Amino acid sequence: MANETDNSNDKELVGLLAQFDDPTSLLAACNNAREAGYKKMDAFTPFPVHGIDPALGIKRSFLPFIVLAVALGAVCVGLGMQFYTNGGEIGGVSTDQSPIFPGYQFLISGKPHFSLPANIPVTFEVIVLSSAFATFFGMWIINKLPRLSNPLHRVSRFKRVTNDKFFLMLEAKDEKFDKSDSEAELNQWGAVAIEEVNQDLTDTKLPAWMAPMALIGALLLLIPPVAIFSAYGATNTKPRLHVVPDMDWQHKFKTQVLSPNVSDPDTPEYLFANRRAMRQPVEGSVRFGSLETDSEMFRGIKKDFANASMTVGMKKSMLASTGPQDEEENLDQWITGFPEGFEVNETTLARGKERFNIYCSVCHGYAGNGDGLVNQRAVALAANGQATWTAAKSLHDAVVKDASKNPTGRIYDTITNGRNNMGPYKDQIPVADRWAIVAYVKALQETGITPVGADAAAEAEAATEAEAPELEAAEEEKEE
Amino acid sequence: MHETRPAKITSPIVDLGGAHVKLMPLALIVGAVGVGLAYALSQFQLQRFSYIYLVNFAFVLTMCIGSLFFVTISHLTRAGWNVTLRRIAELYAQCLPVLFILFLPILIPLLLSSDGLYVWNQGGWSMTHATNDLKDTVANLPLADRPPLEQMKAAYLNKGFFAIRWVIYFCIWGGMATFFLRTSLKQDTTGDKKLTSWMQAFSAPAMILFAASIVFSSMDLLMSLEPLWFSTMFPVYFFAGSVLSSLALITLTSLNLQRSGRITDEVTTEHYHDMGKLMFGFVVFWGYIAFSQFMLIWYANIPEETFWYEYRMDLENGWGILSIILLVGHLFVPFLFMMGRTMRRNKNLMFIATIYLLVMHWIDLYWLVMPQYARAGGEIGFGFMSVLADLACTVGIIGLFMGIFFLVTRDKPLVTLQDPRLGEALNHEVH
Repeated sequence: MANETDNSNDKELVGLLAQFDDPTSLLAACNNAREAGYKKMDAFTPFPVHGIDPALGIKRSFLPFIVLAVALGAVCVGLGMQFYTNGGEIGGVSTDQSPIFPGYQFLISGKPHFSLPANIPVTFEVIVLSSAFATFFGMWIINKLPRLSNPLHRVSRFKRVTNDKFFLMLEAKDEKFDKSDSEAELNQWGAVAIEEVNQDLTDTKLPAWMAPMALIGALLLLIPPVAIFSAYGATNTKPRLHVVPDMDWQHKFKTQVLSPNVSDPDTPEYLFANRRAMRQPVEGSVRFGSLETDSEMFRGIKKDFANASMTVGMKKSMLASTGPQDEEENLDQWITGFPEGFEVNETTLARGKERFNIYCSVCHGYAGNGDGLVNQRAVALAANGQATWTAAKSLHDAVVKDASKNPTGRIYDTITNGRNNMGPYKDQIPVADRWAIVAYVKALQETGITPVGADAAAEAEAATEAEAPELEAAEEEKEE
Repeated sequence: MHETRPAKITSPIVDLGGAHVKLMPLALIVGAVGVGLAYALSQFQLQRFSYIYLVNFAFVLTMCIGSLFFVTISHLTRAGWNVTLRRIAELYAQCLPVLFILFLPILIPLLLSSDGLYVWNQGGWSMTHATNDLKDTVANLPLADRPPLEQMKAAYLNKGFFAIRWVIYFCIWGGMATFFLRTSLKQDTTGDKKLTSWMQAFSAPAMILFAASIVFSSMDLLMSLEPLWFSTMFPVYFFAGSVLSSLALITLTSLNLQRSGRITDEVTTEHYHDMGKLMFGFVVFWGYIAFSQFMLIWYANIPEETFWYEYRMDLENGWGILSIILLVGHLFVPFLFMMGRTMRRNKNLMFIATIYLLVMHWIDLYWLVMPQYARAGGEIGFGFMSVLADLACTVGIIGLFMGIFFLVTRDKPLVTLQDPRLGEALNHEVH
């Protein structure tokens, strides 16, 4: 049966579909139809046929103009978006002053907050994306897509359009269309077969259950976002969900616990005979750091004091809660020169300078004047009460410079374990490099560079106090 | 209305028809007089004359290089649509070996003296002409034992190696162009389809050589005017300009030939439409590359790179205005002008567009070259005499170039006669 709806009374004639066997006769028929005055018609072919557009009288699509308009709009949108998010300014008012959704003035390598060259790539991408969308969806709109069904698909003969047959359809909506006349004309133009195309008008209403079901479905879909948002704002007293339990509860023993009974309570059996969960180290194991026996080299402490002393910095970090806090420091314990195995020469001094510039200069300054950029900024913030900060020492300070109060061993210890505000650097700087820095610091002090405004700096130093240990760990810069 | 055209040449005249006998000497005389006049008008200052000569030499060289690219890429992609236009490109590419003669006025002063066009050939070349920023940067190298930049670059930029490289470039271009033209001409008489396969097989390795040659030649010819400047994007920029100008030149030549009644049936509106699309594409490509080069340097903000643009963006010395003209005239105007289908299918408008693009390409090269003369301490001068000298040089070299074209073309057919894809080209239709 060619047409499933032939027997139905609820149908409407859409048009007449004529079949042709080759592109040439189709083109001729298209030309004839156009010349006969038909306007609403369409041709269907398995492959693009040259010249079919003028033969059907199809005008150029206005899609390109839609795309052009959208692309020009995208220029404004792309630039405007970046202007807004980058905190651009109009008449001295920046968008970062906006009470809601403020822009943010990122400072990137000294460029202006809104600078055209940087914004061109993003604008370009926005243009390309919106042009692609405009082309794609514009084509849909112009072609009245998406269309869920087409009466042509009910004509079984039409299926060969994707294979080897050519079709021309005259639409019933055309003013010139008349069923019998048009059929005669199509026959005259060489149609191999002619079919009526009918739109099925039988009940197109949705089943009654569908609308409420859709409503319920939509409501159900609302549950997950509502749940997420309510959880987002709520507090919960229950323990958290364990997504990967065998990672949270691993089959292992913590250190220094007894191995539990792995058998019946009556006949206990333990994992290891001595009931220790932790094993003894393998014979010949060397504890980490146990080879650092040379106290002069590794701690900056004279050999005589090696067993008695614990460095001040270590006390601070190890015994902060339990040990005596204000124990008098034994200044005799520090070595005053350099340990054996470290040689002060041009190479080590150059190395020391390089390391100093990398690690120390940010606070202490390149010349050791205590004017590093971090320090400057922190002092400025501290002056506003936005942070607590003990100013970095000038290495040319009289106390620091005094070899009796600050022997080289003590400087080494300061680098290793930190002092006051200063953090320990033992994890960042290897031992030899620390000594190289000490050598460089001594060299810096010998050259005795006096900074500009040294008097004022010295007064400020005196005011903030020099030696008092800062018990409270300094907070980092705190923005409000 | 829709009929398939037979793969047959139907135009009454398919060659120059003897016109070259009169035109070739005329063009060469105009060329020689123009160049001579330009040298005289610049008061025999070789340095000043060399710069404007370089602009014009680069102008004709890029058009020929682009034509060679057009031929090679056609074979590489088995293009059928442009078969009827390919001969014009082949003829322009064949001008390349002859252009070596025009290169000699640049090469010979370089070899014979320690002066000449390029500052790297002069003593203390880089430091004298660099900006203060650059001098400081180079002078304050952190390690005293590091060789200065110019010492490192001198291994590449020296007169002997420069001359050798240019001989190699012209050998590559000349070899490619000669092979393509000879094979294509042979096919005109024999109609042997195997020749097309040979050209196709040849085009792939040739394209690799071509790419290498255009990268290094662009750096040698134009970028080394500022030997301390870095930009890996520059060869691509040069390439974009070359292809764009050659497309314009091929289209313009075809339009002119058709106006004078030659190859009237072979090149159709459809071909112009596609050439227009290609030109539009390369206008965008040029803009894309020009901006990419600019933005990377602008963003990185390293003095060694930015000074090149800083000088050209300075509105006070006038180069900034030329930069704006280039941005608007080389990108925005042709972008909008060449976008429409109506425009691309209109021969008169295409004629205007091609000439416009060639003028813009010339300005582009002027913008690349001439600021270097001013930076090197020279006075360009925009008085009547110097403008006249520049004009005479431009007219002269274009005259010489046309003379070379007529010399190469003679009575060769201006369209391929028996190419196996001729039918496809004649029936080409744009959708």
